[in-house]
Amino acid sequence: MSPPESMPRIDFEANARSALRDAFLQRALRSAMVRFRELQAGVIAEVPQWQALRQQAHDVKLDTLAHLDRHLDELEFRIRARGGHVHRAGDGAEAGRIIEGLARGRRVVKSKSMTSEEIGLNEVLRRAGCEVTETDLGEYLLQLAGETPSHIIAPVVHRSKESIAELLSAATGRRLPPEAEALTAAARVLLRERFLRAEVGITGVNFAVAETGTIVLVENEGNIRLTTTIPRVHIALMGVEKVIPRLADLPVFLTLLPRAATGQRMSSYVSLLTGPRRPGESDGPEEFHLVILDNGRRAIQADPVMCEALACIRCGACLDVCPIFERTGGHAYGSVYSGPIGAVITPLFVGLERAGDLPFASSLCGACGEVCPVKIDLPRLLLELRARVVRARGAGRAERLFVAGWSRIMRDPAALRRAGGLVRFLQRLLGRRPRWVPYPLSRWVTSRDLPPPAHAAFRQGWKP
Amino acid sequence: MRAALFVTCLVDQLFPRAGEAAAAVLRRCGVAVEFPPAQTCCGQVAFNDGFWEEARPLARRHIEVFDHADVVVAPSGSCVAMVRELYPMLLRDEPGWAARAREVGQRTFELSEFLVDVLHTEDAGARFPHRVTYHPACHGLRALGLRDQPLRLLRRVRDLDLRPLRGAEECCGFGGMFAVKFSALSSAMLETKLRAIEDSGAEVVTATDVSCLMHLGGGLSRAGSRIRALHLAEILAAQ
Amino acid sequence: MIASEALVDRFIERATAAGVEVVRVSTDASLALQVLERISSAGIHAVAVWDDPLLQPIVDAVRGAGLTITHDPAAAAVGITAAEHAIADTGTLVLSAGPGRPRATSLLPPLHVAVLPEDRIVGTLFDLVPRLEALPSALAFVTGPSRTADIELTPVRGAHGPVSVAVYLLPDALGRAPV
Repeated sequence: MSPPESMPRIDFEANARSALRDAFLQRALRSAMVRFRELQAGVIAEVPQWQALRQQAHDVKLDTLAHLDRHLDELEFRIRARGGHVHRAGDGAEAGRIIEGLARGRRVVKSKSMTSEEIGLNEVLRRAGCEVTETDLGEYLLQLAGETPSHIIAPVVHRSKESIAELLSAATGRRLPPEAEALTAAARVLLRERFLRAEVGITGVNFAVAETGTIVLVENEGNIRLTTTIPRVHIALMGVEKVIPRLADLPVFLTLLPRAATGQRMSSYVSLLTGPRRPGESDGPEEFHLVILDNGRRAIQADPVMCEALACIRCGACLDVCPIFERTGGHAYGSVYSGPIGAVITPLFVGLERAGDLPFASSLCGACGEVCPVKIDLPRLLLELRARVVRARGAGRAERLFVAGWSRIMRDPAALRRAGGLVRFLQRLLGRRPRWVPYPLSRWVTSRDLPPPAHAAFRQGWKP
Repeated sequence: MRAALFVTCLVDQLFPRAGEAAAAVLRRCGVAVEFPPAQTCCGQVAFNDGFWEEARPLARRHIEVFDHADVVVAPSGSCVAMVRELYPMLLRDEPGWAARAREVGQRTFELSEFLVDVLHTEDAGARFPHRVTYHPACHGLRALGLRDQPLRLLRRVRDLDLRPLRGAEECCGFGGMFAVKFSALSSAMLETKLRAIEDSGAEVVTATDVSCLMHLGGGLSRAGSRIRALHLAEILAAQ
Repeated sequence: MIASEALVDRFIERATAAGVEVVRVSTDASLALQVLERISSAGIHAVAVWDDPLLQPIVDAVRGAGLTITHDPAAAAVGITAAEHAIADTGTLVLSAGPGRPRATSLLPPLHVAVLPEDRIVGTLFDLVPRLEALPSALAFVTGPSRTADIELTPVRGAHGPVSVAVYLLPDALGRAPV
């Protein structure tokens, strides 16, 4: 995906600073992340073969990616055999045109789809004269607020129930109390009416099973089932990496995904949809379209190092354990995909020039790699990207000088001895809380004192 | 047994006591300790920051310095993780060096790992009559898979009152250059960790890495706290 | 297949944990009676029900009680289905759409009643897949009521679909409808 020319560089540091000043956001994120982690840990502990399943899921995904065309061709063949339509889109604009052609001027209900956010589908449809309604409660609230999701599973975690009550009160024309139950009930009534008169339903895809031509959708609210039951036309949008070869692979992923995402043994609804409605059936779409999107994915697939990033099943577990995400929320990442996986795939999608800060926005604590249910080695991918950013874009002058100086000194024990002596001399001179120090120490002493000076280096005092 | 001490650049220049303590503990456990004076830095600072070109000569030099040692022991989980887990990645385009890196990596151990898993020693003969809490530094915890080795050693220290640490496995916010590039975030993470340390009731916070301890100690000092940050080796060496 | 009592117990435990009301019945007559009672207590008049021999006793009882059977799930206050399979480990019902088996029956009405013969319960998802032969146009795994936690992570039932799900477990001898 090439970024629109006007898109500025994502300044994660500045975004993080403003997130840190938002006291509600800090509290909300912390309590949400802690709660997700507890729920996840509880149901993961029940699965003794968890580690083996992670490996299996990883292997299935990478093996499938290695033979992507074969599996996509089979998926397409099976769906066509069932009377469905399959469209291939090279980029977001092409996918937008295809969907626009199918939905122009119609009333559209949509369920949550990161891929549709990625290609800015709502805006495309709005311009094509469609009435578009997001039906996932969180996404609907974001639509009312004109915002983007801040967490893949809890898209509206950055908003308080009071501010949500205001949004829904305005939408319903009634004064609603700031209570989750009453607000959900009000949204249900509003959205039910939208469902019943919708002409087109648009969903994402969690998994697409090639051997049976089945798309699989996972949810709790029931809005995806409604979106794929009531409108006459169902359009599903998937990235090429969502295909899995066999139905027998599905239990692996369905064991992992709900537990890693919401901490449930199983989500309330999993739909396995195979083609449009069949003769004699009274509901379900008469037309089924699957739009298979590349948008930069094949380039990632062809990159032997980064390929495994495409194994992601969008569960959000890496966000939930990330101490950075916990303090910034998703908006700081400046793209649809946030957290550790966002820090990896956003630069791959929009370019190192624009998103080159993101791979550095990690303390490399490794928590993300440890929890990823498909075993993506996120810390390693972050390191790889850092090297690419330095090669492609370079680093700041002060940083370059520091690292180059460090490396030069460390190539020579005599230079190290001299430099160390100088450092200890300066430590004694400046004290632990100096008024001025050069970069990078200038950014250390904002919150931390310098260590007390050592008497001498270890090597000077060493007695064999 | 003979072991070469890979003391790490930070310990060498800024925290020599941790290195002296590590050597003392090893000797007390019957290990003959040598210090190859040609050693400098494993290159992690440059590598983690994306400067692989700058890191490679340091990695090759580290391998040469420690090539002949039977066993290499370091008072740092992070630097051991660099050598053992990341050198093969850094040197993957130089197959000869990558192979040598793997060999050195297999013989390189973090101190608590070496004591518990290799020497099968949990009692280092220490006495430390203080309230202590332990912060599991991330690279030891996750890259090396250290779980309870440091705790097993601490539990055998006489008169030591070991206090549990809330959110122990959450990162302290150091992260190398991260600590300065994203100073505000690093400080926010530090603040969470310092609150947990204060709440533990400990007088001393310990860890396997002086890098995290420099960050924690710097924060404690800035907050005017009386809690001290000490390397695990310094506690194990105390008598 | 003979239902193992352990599987049934596990299903009851896990479905209950997911917020399902689980009722074990011993005869067709008690099935009809108990479902009718559940419906009446909710003050329901319009009933949507799948065409399935298992549900015939319920249809008869509902008609006898003077309630309306509708083919439009949007107009019904309860939707009654027969589960084709169930998964014990997760407390999941597996519902297969088809002629006379609209998808919306288990979705639009605020109450979903499902009848499940005990011998259709399998242990895990992995045990289920070999039993799925030709896939229908829509196969729904239903685990508890519709729910959301989008507002400050407060769990709320009935986001879009049913607020309540009740499962009536039939002993082996009554589960005779071929699947």
